[in-house]
Amino acid sequence: MTNFIDYLLGGFSNGAVIALMALALVLVWRSTRMVNFAQVGQAMFTTYVALTVQQSTGNWLLALVVAIVAGAVLGVIVFFLVIRPVKNSDSTGAIIATFGGLIALQAAAGMIWGGDPQGFIPPVDNAGLEFAGRTWPISLYDILVLSVTAALVIGLTLLFTKTSLGLSMRASAFNPEVARLSGVRVNRMLISGWAIAGATGAIGGVLIAPVSSISPNSFDILLVFAFTAAVIGGLDSLIGAVTFGIGTGLVISLVSGYSDSGNAPIVALILLALNLLLKPDGVFGHHGARSV
Amino acid sequence: MLETVDLCVSYGAVKALNGMNLVVPQGEVTAVIGANGAGKSTLMRTLAGLVTPASGQVLFDGVSISGHKPEDIVRNGMALVPEGRSTIPELTVEENLRLGGLWRDKSDRGASKNLVFDLFPILGERANMRADTLSGGERQQLAIGRALMSNPKCLLLDEPSLGLAPLIVTQILELVSRLASETNLAVLLVEQNAVTALRVATTGVVLHLGEVVKSGPAAEISSDEELRHAYLGY
Repeated sequence: MTNFIDYLLGGFSNGAVIALMALALVLVWRSTRMVNFAQVGQAMFTTYVALTVQQSTGNWLLALVVAIVAGAVLGVIVFFLVIRPVKNSDSTGAIIATFGGLIALQAAAGMIWGGDPQGFIPPVDNAGLEFAGRTWPISLYDILVLSVTAALVIGLTLLFTKTSLGLSMRASAFNPEVARLSGVRVNRMLISGWAIAGATGAIGGVLIAPVSSISPNSFDILLVFAFTAAVIGGLDSLIGAVTFGIGTGLVISLVSGYSDSGNAPIVALILLALNLLLKPDGVFGHHGARSV
Repeated sequence: MLETVDLCVSYGAVKALNGMNLVVPQGEVTAVIGANGAGKSTLMRTLAGLVTPASGQVLFDGVSISGHKPEDIVRNGMALVPEGRSTIPELTVEENLRLGGLWRDKSDRGASKNLVFDLFPILGERANMRADTLSGGERQQLAIGRALMSNPKCLLLDEPSLGLAPLIVTQILELVSRLASETNLAVLLVEQNAVTALRVATTGVVLHLGEVVKSGPAAEISSDEELRHAYLGY
């Protein structure tokens, strides 16, 4: 039982990062109705940028802020360079294009920063907290990760529900034609969606780097987990992405704890397959959300 | 106010509108009637900027707006209520309305909202409910309300009677017609339901296979039996 609780607690922080990546996938899906497989590549690239900033200034917060801005800019660049040219082709074309974007980003990062894994020094201690006579599987850094994630989720929720930009973005996602007829510049909303998604993914990358180290391919596995969480959550639901992102983190932690961490991706893919067989619209998705 | 000059629209080889001339004056309702496939919705979508004309012009306030984007046309003062109660069901009533005038100053928006709530009190009562909880008639009021939030000089209504009870249609259209005369709004109404449309309209235009076959005072058109038999099917 102690093991079980420890495994669960240990999964939250990882789950928070998966939730951020899943959120990024959902934000892109809501703006352009496509899954951006380059998302983790963008996050990897901006995490290298953050690493460079941290190594030269020693300031983690500055590194995070630079990564957020770089993530937003890179999101817009990927949109114009990779997505815009294939926007009118079929969805297979767009999927292949985003994979191409992922490979291009990995190659570019390899050329700039080299292929060897590099460490990312956390701003606070990442060792398990000592409390009530034992060591817990949660560190001060995990608490920081959870706090940043919670703040971001609250911020995004307020953005979407309370601001004019958020309302325009939601309307553009639900019904672009009615949005245009209401005077919304839908194309700009779509680009904003890619920028916000890029920034969200960038935060996820910086947060996971101290735990996983960073190399051009180190976030690939994150794509599997985030994609699973986003799809099970319904692909167009922010709540779904967060809930199942954290849920996936917990499942991975349990699977790794009781068997082997190498089994985690297999379990994730089995969950994904089961979901697609039993509830293809996702748990939080509305019917037809994916038929577009 | 709104004018089309020799407007032609084609979908591939099919000519949906073939040299249409139309004048929509301020302060009254102009009704375009015709059977299915006459080109009514094509006309509305072209006016709103969703479809680009093959040739001819759309003049708004004397200025050509052919080829302008829909979002610019509505900001410029012409709002379309598309066919099929075009509200966004996932948003609340209040959000649907707010969407209609997001680019405007807050105080101007407030004035428009008060006008919409005066016109359609039910929308005020249901402000915080999701649009998909409304009845068909209420959703049509919401769609019209959203268009009014842009403070239009010209309002385009595409087939508002579709799927609604006749009594509700009459109520809504009478409100719109009163609004037109009271606020000097130009209204272009497109309808398959000729009887109801001609009752509230000042001028009637009969459209058949993309061409105007007759236009004149609404009363004259509704009493022309030959015309009714030939083009309106009743």
